[in-house]
Amino acid sequence: MTTAITRPPLVRSSDRVIAGVCAGLAAHLGWPVRMVRIGMVVAALAGGAGLAFYAWLWIMVPTADENAKRNARRPASPIAPAVSAPGLPLPPDCGSGPVPAAAAFPAAGPLPGAPLHGMAPGTGPGAAGGLTGGTNGAEAATAPWFRVRGMPYGKEVLLGAGLLLAGGILIARMVGVDVPLGTLIPVAAILGGAAIAWIQLDETRRAGLLDKTKADQAGGWARLAAGLALVVAGVLVMVSGSGSWEQTWLALLASVAVLGGVALVLLPWGLKFWRDLEAERAGRVRATERAEIAAHLHDSVLQTLALIQRRSGNENDVLRLARAQERELRGWLYRDPGKEAGQLSDRIRAAAAEVEDSLGNAVDVVSVGDTAMTARHEALVQASREAMVNASRHGGGTVSVYLEVADGGAEVYVKDRGPGFDPASVPEDRMGVRESIVGRMNRHGGTAVISSSPDGTEVRLKLPSDAADNGEGKS
Amino acid sequence: MNNVEAGSAEAGGAPAVRVVIVDDHAIFRSGLKADLDARVTVVGEAGTVEQAMAVIAQTSPEVVLLDVHLPGGLGGGGREVIAGSAALLGSTRFLALSVSDAAEDVVSVIRAGARGYVTKSISGAEITDAVLRVAGGDAVFSPRLAGFVLDAFGTAPANIADDELDRLSARELEVMRLIARGYSYKEVAKELFISIKTVETHVSAVLRKLQLSSRHELTKWAAERRLL
Repeated sequence: MTTAITRPPLVRSSDRVIAGVCAGLAAHLGWPVRMVRIGMVVAALAGGAGLAFYAWLWIMVPTADENAKRNARRPASPIAPAVSAPGLPLPPDCGSGPVPAAAAFPAAGPLPGAPLHGMAPGTGPGAAGGLTGGTNGAEAATAPWFRVRGMPYGKEVLLGAGLLLAGGILIARMVGVDVPLGTLIPVAAILGGAAIAWIQLDETRRAGLLDKTKADQAGGWARLAAGLALVVAGVLVMVSGSGSWEQTWLALLASVAVLGGVALVLLPWGLKFWRDLEAERAGRVRATERAEIAAHLHDSVLQTLALIQRRSGNENDVLRLARAQERELRGWLYRDPGKEAGQLSDRIRAAAAEVEDSLGNAVDVVSVGDTAMTARHEALVQASREAMVNASRHGGGTVSVYLEVADGGAEVYVKDRGPGFDPASVPEDRMGVRESIVGRMNRHGGTAVISSSPDGTEVRLKLPSDAADNGEGKS
Repeated sequence: MNNVEAGSAEAGGAPAVRVVIVDDHAIFRSGLKADLDARVTVVGEAGTVEQAMAVIAQTSPEVVLLDVHLPGGLGGGGREVIAGSAALLGSTRFLALSVSDAAEDVVSVIRAGARGYVTKSISGAEITDAVLRVAGGDAVFSPRLAGFVLDAFGTAPANIADDELDRLSARELEVMRLIARGYSYKEVAKELFISIKTVETHVSAVLRKLQLSSRHELTKWAAERRLL
């Protein structure tokens, strides 16, 4: 237990010189980055072993972002949040660990959506943060001169170093040292081309993770093409063994023909593979959506249906439950994601829902336009609510509420089809109409008109916009 | 089909309005059939887009009670049924019926040619009235549909300079507002001191504008709600 160090996962760091391999490796092993980098350079000089190792890691190890994404996409399991919770110590023997954790979190089972969302913050940023933090710390403490990343022209400096090396080789040749240029140049071309192409690959991956802006798509393709051309040229020169143009052209022709033939044969497989991949991805998206819908239906509709079955004797309760559930489901299905919450119409709807729940009569709200809430609108909502309560209690049927917000102000109409009453004959002690509706509206610079007939009663509330009566409304 | 005979016999002088009910829930169809009174006879039922088009072509009813969401066809639901029965649009009228009160559902079926829209929670007497009104060539607006219209066309009255189709007149706005407030046509007529016939004319005019207008703001409104 004491020797089991919880190592950060092996991922390529975003703090990088070429591809972040050394920084990632250092973070994973807990070694200083400088040592890893120097070791890699030394190994590269030893017959190119370091280069091969570096390239191999570059290909095989995912970037930190990719790793986070992959973890987030892993199929949800009820124990996942428990296992990956940051506070829990990770047991060295994973076989025994998850079992008690699963037992401790049985509630996570019926909610397939939750672990999925809980997973991403648990592993992604945590891992990435720890990783970059570690490398930064190591660099700052041990190797101030090696902080190429921190320098403003890191890539240019690297390029300069490469040119210096090339210059040095040329000078050495002039001095008389025998340098095998015939093999060095093609090898350098291949390595350079591969590096250019792979760096490009990394960048498109990152762009794909962030957003799909295709700003420098053309530049990316150009770099990829340049890298490919370099590699092809290098390989050709290396294989043909001489600088003779005729032989090179012949080899180029032959290789292009071979590549074309291979591509022709492999194309159907490639396409099929690609389509399968797309189909699988689409299927996974659908499955996630389905899980979310299932979770919501379980929490709301199924519960309500169970309640309705148990209370089927009480017609009033059933009606109320059905209305409340309908409202909730509607809100979920038809909500406008672009719209901000907490606007005036939302508040009026919430008040209507409350009245509907407490008194049992349906309250239908139709709204046109909307506005942000202010203190004065709060008064309008309260007055509307009072009017709805009265309409529902005395009207005894469906209550119609209409909200219209225009430049001139906000208007609310609350109508019922009850037997009606004479507003003038309301006794002084009845606070509902006189104080909560008329008085409240007047205090906030609005008006309330109540018209009642044997066919029903309508309360008309009007609140002019602030600009129309500035200052007066607050008095 | 027994109740068909009974229905037309009972109605006496005025023949009962012949109706086809299109809805994918059999329980809802039978419930609705029981709710409709004797002034209406149900001559056919359908549960999918294909069935609906076949039944409508076969029976050529006066009114089709059409659910907005239907299985089958190309996935267009009620809209597709109306489009597929375009040849009959002169004689057969469509009344949209839906549990959904999402703007895109309601307005798209209206723009396809339905003469009105009611929600499924409406009572049997009200739905019979709505059917008769649609059969008579008028439009049926629920408060919510009136709300959508006001939302789409804006609440400012038309100028003289505006294209006739592009805005509601002051009177039409008043009518729409009262309907949105929950007034029946009769109550609207009383409130505005006009005849019910005039109210119906105004509502039909608004329906025509809603169906035909390509007004800039309506298009924008529709685009925001993914109607187009």
